[in-house]
Amino acid sequence: MIVQGEYTFPGTREAIWELLLDPAVIARTMPGTEEMVRVAPDRYEGRMRVGVGAITAAEFTVSVQLADVVPPERYTMQIDGRGRFGFTRGTAQVRLAADGAGTVMRFEADLQVGGKIAAVGQRLLDSVSKLMTRQGLESLSKEVNRRLASADPGSRSPNPGSLP
Amino acid sequence: MSARWLGERVPRLEDTKLLTGRALFTDDVDLPGMLHAAFLRSDDAHGVLRSVDVEAARRRPGVVAVWTAADLGEYWKPGPALVPPPPIAGLVFNSATQVPLAREKVRHVGEPLALVVAVSRYVAEDALDDIVVDVEPLLAVTDLEAALAPGAPRVHEALGGNVAARARQSKGDYAAARGRAHKVIARRFRYDRGAAAAIENRGVVAAWDAKTEELTVWDTTQAPIPIRNGLAAMLGLGESQVRVVAPFIGGGFGPKIMMFYPEEVLIPWAAMRLGRPVKWIEDRQENFYATTQERLQIHDAELAVAKDGTILGVKDRFLFDTGAYDPYGLTIPINSQCTLLGPYAVPNYDSEFTAVFTNRPIVTPVRGAGRQHGVFVMERLLDLAAKELGMDRVEIRRRNFLPPDAFPHDHQILFQDFAPLTYDSGDYGPAMDRAVDAIGYERFLREEQPALRRAGRHVGLGIVSYIEGTGIGPYEGARVTIEPSGSVRVATGVGTQGQGHFTTFAQLVSDVLGMDPSKVQVITGDTREFGWGTGTFASRGAVVAGNAVHEAAIRVRKKVLKLASEVLGVDAGELFLECGSVHVKGAPERSLRLGDLARKANPLRGGVAPGTEPGLEATAYFGPERGNAANGVHAMIVEVDPETCEVRIRRYVVVHDCGTVINPTVVEGQVQGGVAMGIGNAFYEQLVWDENGQLMNASFMDYLLPTALDVPAVEMRHTVTPSPLNPLGAKGVGEAGAIPAAAAFAQAVEDALEGEIEVLEIPLSPNRLFDLLGSRSRP
Amino acid sequence: MKPPVFDYFRPASVDEALALLAEHGADAKALAGGQSLVPAMNFRLAQPAALVDLNGLDELAGIGDGPAALRLGAMTRHCAVERSAVVAKRAPLLTETMPYVAHPQIRNRGTVGGSLAHADPAAELPAVMVASSARFLLRSRSGERWIDAERFFTGLFATALEPGELVTAVEVPTLAPRTGWAFEEMSRRHGDYALVGVACLVTLDAAGRCAAARIALLSVGEGPVLAPSATAALAGVQPTADALRAAAEAVNADIDPPSDIHASAAFRRRLATVLTRRALTRAVERIATSAS
Repeated sequence: MIVQGEYTFPGTREAIWELLLDPAVIARTMPGTEEMVRVAPDRYEGRMRVGVGAITAAEFTVSVQLADVVPPERYTMQIDGRGRFGFTRGTAQVRLAADGAGTVMRFEADLQVGGKIAAVGQRLLDSVSKLMTRQGLESLSKEVNRRLASADPGSRSPNPGSLP
Repeated sequence: MSARWLGERVPRLEDTKLLTGRALFTDDVDLPGMLHAAFLRSDDAHGVLRSVDVEAARRRPGVVAVWTAADLGEYWKPGPALVPPPPIAGLVFNSATQVPLAREKVRHVGEPLALVVAVSRYVAEDALDDIVVDVEPLLAVTDLEAALAPGAPRVHEALGGNVAARARQSKGDYAAARGRAHKVIARRFRYDRGAAAAIENRGVVAAWDAKTEELTVWDTTQAPIPIRNGLAAMLGLGESQVRVVAPFIGGGFGPKIMMFYPEEVLIPWAAMRLGRPVKWIEDRQENFYATTQERLQIHDAELAVAKDGTILGVKDRFLFDTGAYDPYGLTIPINSQCTLLGPYAVPNYDSEFTAVFTNRPIVTPVRGAGRQHGVFVMERLLDLAAKELGMDRVEIRRRNFLPPDAFPHDHQILFQDFAPLTYDSGDYGPAMDRAVDAIGYERFLREEQPALRRAGRHVGLGIVSYIEGTGIGPYEGARVTIEPSGSVRVATGVGTQGQGHFTTFAQLVSDVLGMDPSKVQVITGDTREFGWGTGTFASRGAVVAGNAVHEAAIRVRKKVLKLASEVLGVDAGELFLECGSVHVKGAPERSLRLGDLARKANPLRGGVAPGTEPGLEATAYFGPERGNAANGVHAMIVEVDPETCEVRIRRYVVVHDCGTVINPTVVEGQVQGGVAMGIGNAFYEQLVWDENGQLMNASFMDYLLPTALDVPAVEMRHTVTPSPLNPLGAKGVGEAGAIPAAAAFAQAVEDALEGEIEVLEIPLSPNRLFDLLGSRSRP
Repeated sequence: MKPPVFDYFRPASVDEALALLAEHGADAKALAGGQSLVPAMNFRLAQPAALVDLNGLDELAGIGDGPAALRLGAMTRHCAVERSAVVAKRAPLLTETMPYVAHPQIRNRGTVGGSLAHADPAAELPAVMVASSARFLLRSRSGERWIDAERFFTGLFATALEPGELVTAVEVPTLAPRTGWAFEEMSRRHGDYALVGVACLVTLDAAGRCAAARIALLSVGEGPVLAPSATAALAGVQPTADALRAAAEAVNADIDPPSDIHASAAFRRRLATVLTRRALTRAVERIATSAS
């Protein structure tokens, strides 16, 4: 399953870069995330609770492994999420480009879906992934605007996340 | 002997029981203390199995036992290789068979990882959620060509690659024929199939009686006797200690002849270990992964023809997806290879296939068993050749039919029964004539189609012919017994999954013994009743078991006449059998009821002459020297809506030749049912396996079976060319309806779209037609 | 496919049902026809700790005829709607749609309120209600409120229902004079989930020009999708074949259909155009025939 798109945020690439890799921001913006911890400079682990309609939200353990990191330009994520309904696995590439005063984020993910979700949920996979992507982007956009509005260096997360 | 019942439309004797809910199916078996099983199945298509932690499951109240591969100890072993490959020169064959529970590696989604036994299926499924599995995923092998590329991940590490087999059969000299050809038609064909989707899923109930030391297994198998023999060997029991009962079964269609499925092997073992009966009933979702299916073949085929449409030769190179294991050998691709030749004279043939291991469930025969693929390739090549030569598509077929005096015709290549593919009898011209007449071919092409086209409608006709190899050996047996009550009991080793054996076998006996079929009780599928035989497959029930039943009845008749002539004091030639009694010709008051004769044949005291057998009972076996060749023609008219790409089938005609017909209603039912499956294969059903080996449609929401609204009533005609290979002259019919339907559908849709696209793949769907029409695919 | 353990309650009154739903919160689900919920439970995708069975609440079922609107109780079975002469007279678009809702067996149990609350993007009723400008009565322990159908469906399987709220009734306004209706759907087999469906109402003025058109599609997005571009294309024009064709083409601006194994997004777009054109054509023809 290919999930791709682009979104323009106000703010510099550096500012957006920091937000994208801030585990607290990920926890707040990725739909259903209950916990997200940076366990290593290039690795995140956490828990998500995802449900749609009548489908009871089920817990997924998630890990995200970063690779090919070139700040503030691009990075690749190896995503692995597993839960009661099955799993999703794949790679996502994120690219940031300056666009005037803002930043254009382009992303492309190739995700494998397996287990029960694939077996009986194929009808909804496209819609659910579009929905979660949109929700994630909207939350991220709110977060960006919130940070810009406060413009207070103290509001940044304690772990600015500079990578080797 | 009368011929009153042969060919008669006797209403099915088993239907009252079935329709009033009094038939025993495996899930009806309910024993005191019975426990229920559920299997944890892999979500991953390919991976290293690091651990399966069942501790929490074991602690759940209501759970009696949980086993993983490690817990099976010595009992864990790969299943037997069931079907050895035929002795083809230069054959490459790598055997890899399924295991009861995965160990070290998982090789397909749905592969069993653990067995839970609990007080109910509800609790057992709760316990499945308690189990924690650690799998390190590996790249899945799914694309057939990529699987053969160097560096591809390997389904079985011990093998050098993913080649399960490679086999080449040839006759004559295709290269020379090609050189002489007026035209060579070459295309790539993709033919996919799907699940059998029987209305009843699989199930196994096992009970061990420690006092009598007997194991009873109810199993939805098409092969109860081989299952009994195999289980006895695996469990260290004598064959007589094991009874396997295949009760009423809601459809087999092939996957239930796959043997020694993990569940079949483990449930009896669990019952013996626990000392309590254990039941496992497969649910529909499991069926998509846990029961075998058929899948894709990719053919690069070419046809060399002369200017007048005569076939000079065929060359075919194809890939066959065998799944993660190949216990069933090469039955399917050999069938494809052989069935491609069809009813045609093909002087030069060069066919080679490669069977490929993939990370998907095992492929074993499903109604048609690979014949579909061969028929599709040949019929499409002929259609394309006809188009290029400007010939009528019926004419090109007629020109190449084997003539009626060509039989027996040896094609010089090996069939699935290891014997040379030899057609016993056939007369293909009349079958085509009848189909052409029934579908109104000439009138449709000259008048109806042009008129409808002028009105803006897109209608098309498809007409194809085919051969079906049926009735193969090795053998079956039957015992016929006249009971003191006067009714007759027939026992045979085959099972029944809806073919009407209870009626057709009774008809065969009725003619021989002069009684009404309702007085003949037929028992199938119980190893305690009859312990020799192989099973129901390859359209062989009527041919092989039927002839055994017939022969056994004839032997009983001889005994009846001998004893009756002694008792009545007349020559056997003066006696006849009618209405359940023996009568003296011309002396209506002198008769003996068969039941009374049976009592006389079993004295409690006194002496008998040496060599006398008690009762009126006989057992007979029948084994044909080789399979026979049934044939037929399918024709259909379709209409395509070019806006929505929907296709509606307007008419469907089948002309079928299965030799001697025992019960026309049963034959028609088989054909109608087969056509429904063929239509499903052509336009509705497809198992959508993604590139990672995940099944995207494991339910009937998304795996589409055609309904009564999608399948027309088949207009049926028969021709009869009896088989010289068995006394009844019968040929099989079980799979006939399913085999050529997709080939006819492809031709009809192409015709409806006036050749705008070439249909080189199956299945089609409105979505797929939309794609093809968009890109106007042409070579 | 067996569900996990759950508690089961069968309240005798709507108040009792609302109290139970409030008490159990997100752990409880209301059980109406069960034709979507129970299979989801058998697949273990839905795992409510408690089911509140509404099937004993007779006061929630029933078809009522009023001067301005048709009223349907939320627990009215689909089959009752399908066979009702009152519905055929007041809301013929609904009558025409009902045979497309799954299969007769499902319609024997499934309910109007259940279908709307479930808000499946492939469901027929949400689109029909949106096309019909219907409104729904929602009730909780704190009181009742009305909400327009158009605002009720908020996203993928998402509605404006607050926790503890139930749909209790649906009102479908009477058709204006010179209004035609049509429902079109394409599915692989009869009774399957629609690949695309279209519900439309078209009203002409005295001069025969299009005065109003409501076109709602299903299976082309996250819920029922109104097609304002198509409506705009028809505003004030004579409904000629060309005009209807242009309106049908305009639908594409309003939809972002998903892809699945049965239909790609591109194929759904094609179907949306074809079915909208066919629906508009039949709706307009109906006005002519009912006038004459």
